Amino acid sequence: MREIMRVNMSDLSITMEPLPEKWARYGGRALTSAIVFTEVPAGADPLGPENKLVFAPGLLGGTTAPNGGRLSVGAKSPLTGGIKEANSGGQAAHALGKMGLAAVIVEGTPADPSAAYMLVIEPDKSAKLQRVDAWKGMGNYEVADAIKTTRPAGDKFATITNGPAGEMGLKASGIAISDTKGYPNRFAGRGGLGAVMGTKGLKAIVVSDTGLKNLEHADKEAFQAAVKTFSHALTSHPVSGEGLPTYGTNVLANIINEAGGYPTRNFSNGRFEGVEGISGETQREITLARGGNVKHGCHTGCVIQCSRYYVHEDGSYWTKGPEYETAWALGADCGISSMDDVAELDRTCGDLGLDTIEMGAALGVYMDSGALAFGDAEGALAALKETVSGSELGRTLGDGAEATGVKFGVAHIPVVKHQALPAYDPRPIQGIGVTYATTTMGADHTAGYAITANVLGVGGTVDPLKPEGQAELSKNLQIATGMLDAMGLCIFVAFPVLDIPEAFTAIVDMVSAHTGETWSVDDVLAVGKETLTYERLFNAHAGFTAADDRLPEFFTTVPLAPHDTVFTVTDAELDAVFDFVEETAAGLGIS
Amino acid sequence: MNVDVALFASLTAFQPDGQAGRHARTFSVPAGTRIAEVISMLSLPDQPRVIFVNGRHAPEDQKLCEGDRLAIFPPVAGG
Repeated sequence: MREIMRVNMSDLSITMEPLPEKWARYGGRALTSAIVFTEVPAGADPLGPENKLVFAPGLLGGTTAPNGGRLSVGAKSPLTGGIKEANSGGQAAHALGKMGLAAVIVEGTPADPSAAYMLVIEPDKSAKLQRVDAWKGMGNYEVADAIKTTRPAGDKFATITNGPAGEMGLKASGIAISDTKGYPNRFAGRGGLGAVMGTKGLKAIVVSDTGLKNLEHADKEAFQAAVKTFSHALTSHPVSGEGLPTYGTNVLANIINEAGGYPTRNFSNGRFEGVEGISGETQREITLARGGNVKHGCHTGCVIQCSRYYVHEDGSYWTKGPEYETAWALGADCGISSMDDVAELDRTCGDLGLDTIEMGAALGVYMDSGALAFGDAEGALAALKETVSGSELGRTLGDGAEATGVKFGVAHIPVVKHQALPAYDPRPIQGIGVTYATTTMGADHTAGYAITANVLGVGGTVDPLKPEGQAELSKNLQIATGMLDAMGLCIFVAFPVLDIPEAFTAIVDMVSAHTGETWSVDDVLAVGKETLTYERLFNAHAGFTAADDRLPEFFTTVPLAPHDTVFTVTDAELDAVFDFVEETAAGLGIS
Repeated sequence: MNVDVALFASLTAFQPDGQAGRHARTFSVPAGTRIAEVISMLSLPDQPRVIFVNGRHAPEDQKLCEGDRLAIFPPVAGG
């Protein structure tokens, strides 16, 4: 029986409780969203004591399921004002899963607002809160080093840390998770969850899984057979078996640019003349020339291996990746075309604890105001560092693209539900526009990654320049993604799953063999629908309406070069994406 | 007629001058040449690919026109 650890920062108590039976089929995002829906009042102040921060490994966390070590972090978002699940790789999810923890819920706020705490969870699930006031204001890398000095020799542990941006309550702040080498470079990045962790007075969480084995399965033989099938699908599909491990996620830069959907200089063009300098191909060449690593997993059990380390000229570690969205946000969206400049901006975001997508978009909007020239990497770095200075400009930028655009009077602010759009323009790639508009998360590409069929020819083809079929594509992907996030599976498994029927069956088989219950395809997809239903209802209670499921007007009125298109999916189609929620809610007995 | 041919990621190595890394080359081909003929000429590996002509997806039997930009990618994804 999985358990929930409840950490109350108001009275500093830590208690254990069994996972409620009604949530026995939930893990990851399904669980964080069910808990936030049930326990956090929709009207709560995201930075107040009523909000809760929930960490949950997926249902397959703690097992050898390939790519099954993703972590869901949930709360009411300070950025969007709605529900949030930020998803991260790194080592924490498997560590929590292996000790049988379904979730850690952090609630309340400390009586002494100046206190900083570290939550230490040992392999036997004993836990304590330790004062670490001296660590306040430290960047994620320094905190990760400080944590190492507190652990016994030979200890195997993961860290979850909060940088100064989160401590200051900035709405673009994220939470850092350590990778296989202990670098705090994986992120539950989006939606300002670092600010929630900051108001809880929680600087760090340490999860030690020293000596713990992977979880047992109800049917070990069947589980291993399904793992084999799934692993084979992941390593034999050309995208997850070849493209991603060779070039990393930034292999996308050239193809999205070619398709005319690479948002450039605050979404004013779909092609960036400097794409070559920040492309995945160039990134690989530079990294290899300097002796960096170009192929590893962000967590134990990853067989895709799309992570890499960018290094200085002397070969020393600089930052992870950078990933595609980061290279776009801090590159093309700001008119910056040097990978080294992107790396320094990425490292700074990572150390301060800032979401690279939100910050790139905020800097792009700031540049659009004329306050800083597009392409000024030095100015961008100075502005980025100012976010934690406490200055008015710093706080504005650190609250994200919308806050920056409103403050500086920018006409084109690329946000939905107050969260910045990522690295695909919805005018020439309309399917992703449906996801941006309708997802419960605020603009988020991962919620329903329509780039698959729109651009990449994965999981069928849907013409990206036309509105037909986009709403249905996005809906199905959003449901499937809710399922993958609940299982704790990396969403990149979707590429083979969409093309190879046995891969989907293998997920169903892994869950059945692990839990000992017979699951069907419909059963696993039902978890996806239920996840989205909790989220939609929470957002409705928080005041969101159909008017919030829209792109900013300029995407429907200002054509984008080179295809000179606007977003043309109708409001009626957008409003039909969540047509299953009422029925699903009735089945769950919630409203 | 002249067309620009750009190859990306692992396909870059198939540019005829053997210089991998940078992507586009201008080719002289007979009028009415189809994409499939360019693919054959370049000896691209027999695997799925994503093809654009002037930024729009194109089938392999499409005829090219003077000044077209043909871009060919191996299966890639990320995000």
